[in-house]
Amino acid sequence: MSAAQIRFLTLWRREVNRFMKIKKQTIGAPMLETFLYISVFGAALGSRIDKLHGIDYVVFVIPGLIMMAWAMNAFSNNASSILQQKFQGAIQDQLSSPASPLELLTAFSLGGFMRGLVVGVLTFAAASVLVDLPVDHVLVLLPGLFLVGFFFAQLGVLIGVRAEQFDDVAIAQTFVLQPLIFLGGVFYSATLLPEPFQTLTHFNPVYYMINLVRYGFLGFSEADIALSLLALTGATAAIFAFNLRLFSRGYKLRA
Amino acid sequence: MSTDGQVAKFSAAERGNALQIEGLVKRYPTGVEALRCVSLEIEPGDFFGLLGPNGAGKSTLIHCTTGLAQPTAGSIHVFGHDAINDYADARQAVGLAPQELNLDWFLTVEETLDYHAGYFGMPKRERRERAKELLETFSLTEKRDERTRTLSGGMKRRLILARALMHRPPLLILDEPTAGVDIELRLELWHYVRRINQEGTTILLTTHYLEEAEQLCDKIAFIHEGEIVSQGSTTELAASYGVANLEDAYLKLVGRQELSRSRVEELAAS
Repeated sequence: MSAAQIRFLTLWRREVNRFMKIKKQTIGAPMLETFLYISVFGAALGSRIDKLHGIDYVVFVIPGLIMMAWAMNAFSNNASSILQQKFQGAIQDQLSSPASPLELLTAFSLGGFMRGLVVGVLTFAAASVLVDLPVDHVLVLLPGLFLVGFFFAQLGVLIGVRAEQFDDVAIAQTFVLQPLIFLGGVFYSATLLPEPFQTLTHFNPVYYMINLVRYGFLGFSEADIALSLLALTGATAAIFAFNLRLFSRGYKLRA
Repeated sequence: MSTDGQVAKFSAAERGNALQIEGLVKRYPTGVEALRCVSLEIEPGDFFGLLGPNGAGKSTLIHCTTGLAQPTAGSIHVFGHDAINDYADARQAVGLAPQELNLDWFLTVEETLDYHAGYFGMPKRERRERAKELLETFSLTEKRDERTRTLSGGMKRRLILARALMHRPPLLILDEPTAGVDIELRLELWHYVRRINQEGTTILLTTHYLEEAEQLCDKIAFIHEGEIVSQGSTTELAASYGVANLEDAYLKLVGRQELSRSRVEELAAS
């Protein structure tokens, strides 16, 4: 193994090790949260709600819940990890190593991506036990989930680098991400909304992500799949390029 | 504390001065100029002291050398490797024990050493052997599985020095390494760093303890308000300021000669 490979794997291992050491909080809590959503919206209220586009309500919401768990965990892991390391000064150990901006950014990103993957897979496994969850278009589902995870991992890195206090991360999560995800149609079909909210939903990027994942699982989407994939690929590439520029400039990382 | 051939791995990379700084300027976005055209040469094998009051630019100079700060102008070379534009080889050659106890709270003592060496590309088996050796050297073996936040201040200081040494750097930068440590540990650290210097490791030390600089360093530079104002051996510095010792030279530099011990003694006697 080359020195560069060892370096990258160690940077990445550090990020995975961090969330695995506090797995009650980083894996257990989001699993419980998703279980509660499935219980309340699926089992308890779901039986009172008509089928949506011919799909049982509980089955309709699960793809969105998996996407939400993946996205929120990828985001919050990276934002918290980077801010904590900046706060402790421990990030100096990585920054003064020979690691390049690309290696640092990719390793930080993959930490959250892995946490999102673990929570997403566990949620999928648990949901599969509770309901009969089909996987209709695996070739859309896998790239869709990959892009969603990587996009939110990048967003987490961006907020973590910019943040100067823990409030900054909490504000982004509570006042921006959570509303976008909830209003993107995790729990409902946008076609049920009155105007102008139905049209406004089309300006929410998370709406397209949810539809991609829902299409991958259930074969049903309200949005154009090819366009959604293309837009998400573009958005992910754009935020990665932006972050790489920040890392190369040392923005809020190097004095 | 025992040592080994610290610099063996890097001997081929050593060319030119251990540290060569030319025209280094660091201006922060606030407009504060922390370094004003600093030039400095440290030869391989030197034990070099950088002294100056708080805010003089010592840490900024170290941060520019290690990539933690981005210089506004000037050049830095470590053993001939450009530390600013083509930094990988330069950073590989430097071990930094910073002033702050900047340990990762999530890691154990052993992981701290292992991860650091991994960031510098050291293979697993070598990392294990090196960590074992340094844990032993710095009396941290019993604490190897403890999280770093549970360590005492002295242990944290030892771990930071061990971490800096993990990848066998030929240039070791010690930024106030004995601040806040007890006398025994200070003397232990002095013995250790003196020995690795004799074995070939170049050392750049910043300290506020002038006795420490006198004991350890063969060359000293005074930095004041972002500029290197004088350098030489202890005797040469004292002579250049027309005083008897390093402390008086330092007091003259910062314009506080009234604090000189000889003057205080004269006043007490009169």
